[in-house]
Amino acid sequence: MHHGNHFYGHAHVLAGYCGLDPAAPPRIDGYLQHGWNVVDGLGGGTPYAPGSTIFVWSERTRRRARSMGRPLATVIGAPFLYLLRSTPDDTAAGRREGTIWYPFHGWEGQKVSGDHHRLIDEITATEDGPITFCLYWNEYEDRRIRAVYERAGRVICHGYRGYMRMRTDAGFLRGQLAELRRHRRVASNRLSTAIFYGTAAGCEPAVYGDPMYLDREDTPTAERIRREWPELHGAAPDPATAREIVLAELGDGWLASPAELRATLGWAAA
Amino acid sequence: MIRMIGGEMPEYAEEHPPAGGVLLRHLLDRLPTGIRVLVAGPHDTGLIGALAERRDVTCLIRSQPDAATIPDVTVLCGTLSKLTDADRYDMVIALDGVGRLCSPEDTPLDWAESVRVLARSLRPGGTLLLTVENELGVHRLVDPGTPTAARSADAWRPLGEYGGTPGRPDRLAAALAAEGLPVAALATAWPLPVSPTLLVTPETLGRGPLDALAALAAAAVSPAYAGRSVLSDPRRLAASAVRRGVGAELAPAWLVVAQRATRPGPAVVPLPPALFTGPSGAVTEVVGTPDHGWLRRVVRGWSPALSPAPGDDTEHQPGPSMTDRQTEPLPGGRLLEERLLTAALGHDLPRLRRLLTGWMTELPMAAAGNVLVDGDRYALLDPAVPDQPDALARFAHTLLDGGYHHPWPGVTDPARLIAVLAGAAGLDTVPETAAADGPPGRREQEAQLDALRQRLADAEERCRFFEIELEKREAELGRAKTQIAAFSGNLGYRAAKAGLVLARAARNRIRKGRS
Repeated sequence: MHHGNHFYGHAHVLAGYCGLDPAAPPRIDGYLQHGWNVVDGLGGGTPYAPGSTIFVWSERTRRRARSMGRPLATVIGAPFLYLLRSTPDDTAAGRREGTIWYPFHGWEGQKVSGDHHRLIDEITATEDGPITFCLYWNEYEDRRIRAVYERAGRVICHGYRGYMRMRTDAGFLRGQLAELRRHRRVASNRLSTAIFYGTAAGCEPAVYGDPMYLDREDTPTAERIRREWPELHGAAPDPATAREIVLAELGDGWLASPAELRATLGWAAA
Repeated sequence: MIRMIGGEMPEYAEEHPPAGGVLLRHLLDRLPTGIRVLVAGPHDTGLIGALAERRDVTCLIRSQPDAATIPDVTVLCGTLSKLTDADRYDMVIALDGVGRLCSPEDTPLDWAESVRVLARSLRPGGTLLLTVENELGVHRLVDPGTPTAARSADAWRPLGEYGGTPGRPDRLAAALAAEGLPVAALATAWPLPVSPTLLVTPETLGRGPLDALAALAAAAVSPAYAGRSVLSDPRRLAASAVRRGVGAELAPAWLVVAQRATRPGPAVVPLPPALFTGPSGAVTEVVGTPDHGWLRRVVRGWSPALSPAPGDDTEHQPGPSMTDRQTEPLPGGRLLEERLLTAALGHDLPRLRRLLTGWMTELPMAAAGNVLVDGDRYALLDPAVPDQPDALARFAHTLLDGGYHHPWPGVTDPARLIAVLAGAAGLDTVPETAAADGPPGRREQEAQLDALRQRLADAEERCRFFEIELEKREAELGRAKTQIAAFSGNLGYRAAKAGLVLARAARNRIRKGRS
C-alpha cells in the first residue's frame, strides 16, 4: 500500500518472519508505523487513505490513534522487535563497549539548526568509552558534517531507508541491530526511535545535549515528549525502568504469531 | 370427559403454546401420587398425561376445541369464575399463569382475583404451583413487540406491565401471603415463562456461584430466541443481569409453590438451588455442599457420549434408572464467550490470545458459550451438549455480527477474521467456516448498518484519494515519457524538437520586446 511500509525494510522483516520471501513482501493492507511517534502511528505528513488500517506498535499508540479519529489502528508491535526476537545475539557478553550516539536529524526535507561542535564537546565530556556516531544518510553524505564527527569518534550510517520503494536497504534494521549489540550505551539528544531500538537490544539509554530544533518544528511536541518520559532523559537514566518503558512502547508481549500476522496484514492468501 | 361449566369459547383455540417442557415434566413427575390435582389453563397434553398416571387430574380449559384434545381426564371447559368450590383439590397447577383462564364471557379478573379463585378450590393445606410472568423480564426487554400492542385474538384486555401482577419475588410472596397462601418455595424461571429450562432460587442468585449461573442463564436463553427477532442479544442481557445481581428481578418468570395455610414439613414440591436442562434432555440440579461448594448432579436422562461414534445411532432414553449417576463439582469460573468478549472489548490482545489458545488446546470442539474458564482450567458447562467443530468460526461471527470492538478493527471479512483468530489461538490450519446467523438483535443490526455506512463513506473517500494519487502519477508518467522521447528519439526528431524550442524562445523574445 503506502510506500512508507517499505522504509527501513519493515515490510521485508515482517515477510521474513511470516515465512514469506523477504525480498518481495506482498502488499500490506494498511500503513505500518515506521518510527516511534507520539501521534497516531503515521509519520508526519503521510497522506492517509480513509478507512485504512494503521498497524501500530503499542496499545498506547492505538488508544491515541483512536482518540485522533483513526479507529482502525491495530497493534502488531514494532517490526524491529520481531527482528530482535528472531535474531540470535552472537555478540559475546562483555564484548559490548562504548556508546552509539545518534545526533538528532531531520529527514530529507528538513534541516537541523544547532551547533554540532558544542554537542560533540558535551558528548565527549559525558561518555567514558569509545563513541560511534551514527549519522542520518544526508548528514553522512555531507562531508563537512561528517568530518566534524570523525574528529571525535567512529562515524557510521545505517543506510538509506528507501523512498517510493526505490533504493530500499532491506537489511537496514539487521545492520542497525548488529551495530547496537556491539555497544554498551545508546544515546541521542532527542528521545527517538533509535533510543528505543538500542534499549530493546540491551544498551543502556541516555538522552542529553542540545536538542537541535528542526526548521518550523512543532516545539510543543518535543517538550511534551520530554515531560511525558522523564525516566528516559538524562545522561544516565535507570536502565531497568527505561527498558520497561521502551519495551511497552515497542509492543513487547503483543507480537503476533506468523499465522496471525499473515492474516492481520492481509497476507493469508499470499 | 368434558364438563361444560359455562363461559367456554367454542370457536377459539389457543394461539400460543401451552406450558410444557422437560423441566416442568421433571417437577411434576416428582409430585406425590394419589392426590387430586386441578390443572388450570393450557398445559402440554404429555404433561397432563404423565400427571394423570397416578393421580386424579381435572383440567380447566377455556377453549372448547382445546378441551377436546385432552385425553382421559376430566376437563372443566369454561371460564375461571365459573369454577366453584364444590370441588376441592390437593393441588392446583397453573404453570401457564392466570392470563389464559378467563374467557370473553367472564368479567375480566385481575391477577389477584384470579389467584383468589384458584385458592378457593384448594383444600386446607393444599398446594398451589403457579407461574407468574415478569412483565419486565429479560424476555420482555428483548422483545420487539409488546403485550400492550398484541394482535392476537385473546388480547381483548392487553394490560401488559400496566396490570397488577407483582413485579418482584418478595412482592409476589407478600401478595400470595395476603391471600392466605404463604410461599413455601420460589424459583426464577428462564428463558420463557411457559417453557423454562432453568430454575434458580433467588437465594442462589444472591449467594450462589454467580458466574456459573450467569453462564447457565445465557445458555438457557440462547436456543429460546434462535431465529426470532429480538431487540438485543438476550444471552448478554440474561448473563449480565445474573452476574450483576439483578437476576431475580429480571427473570422472565417466577415459579412459586404456595400452600393454603402452613403445614409442617418440607414443601410438597421441593425446588433445588438450581435445576436445568440442555439440548440433550438431561435434567441436572445444582446443590450446595456443607463447605459452601457447589455440586451438579444429573437427576434425569443422562446421555454420556459427547460425540457419538460414527454409525452409533443409539438413542439414549431418559429414565429414572439413570438418575444420580453423575455427581461432580460445579465448575467454577466464568463463561469463555464472555471472557473472550471482555478481552476483545478491552483490546487486551495478550489475554485474548491466551484464552483462544487455552480453548483450542483444551476444548476445541466446545462452543464458547458452553465452556467455563477458571484461571487456566477449561470445563464444559453442560457436558451433554453435542460437539461443535466450527466453534472458533462461530465466535468470529459473534464478534462481527454483535458489532463488538476487537483488536483487529480493519478485518471485516469473516473468513479473514477466522484466520486471524486461528493464528491468535496458535492453530496451524484455519478451521472450517460457519454459516452466519446474522446480527442477534435489532440493536446489533443498527450497529452493523452504521458500520457499513461508515465503510461505504470511507471507500468513497478512498476512491477520491486514489484518483488524486493517480492523477499525480499520470502527470509524472507523462513528463517521464516526454523525457524518454526527447532522449531516445532519432536525430530528426531531436533536431525538430530543438528547432521548436528555439522558435518558442524567439517568439517569447519578440513578445517581450512588444510589451
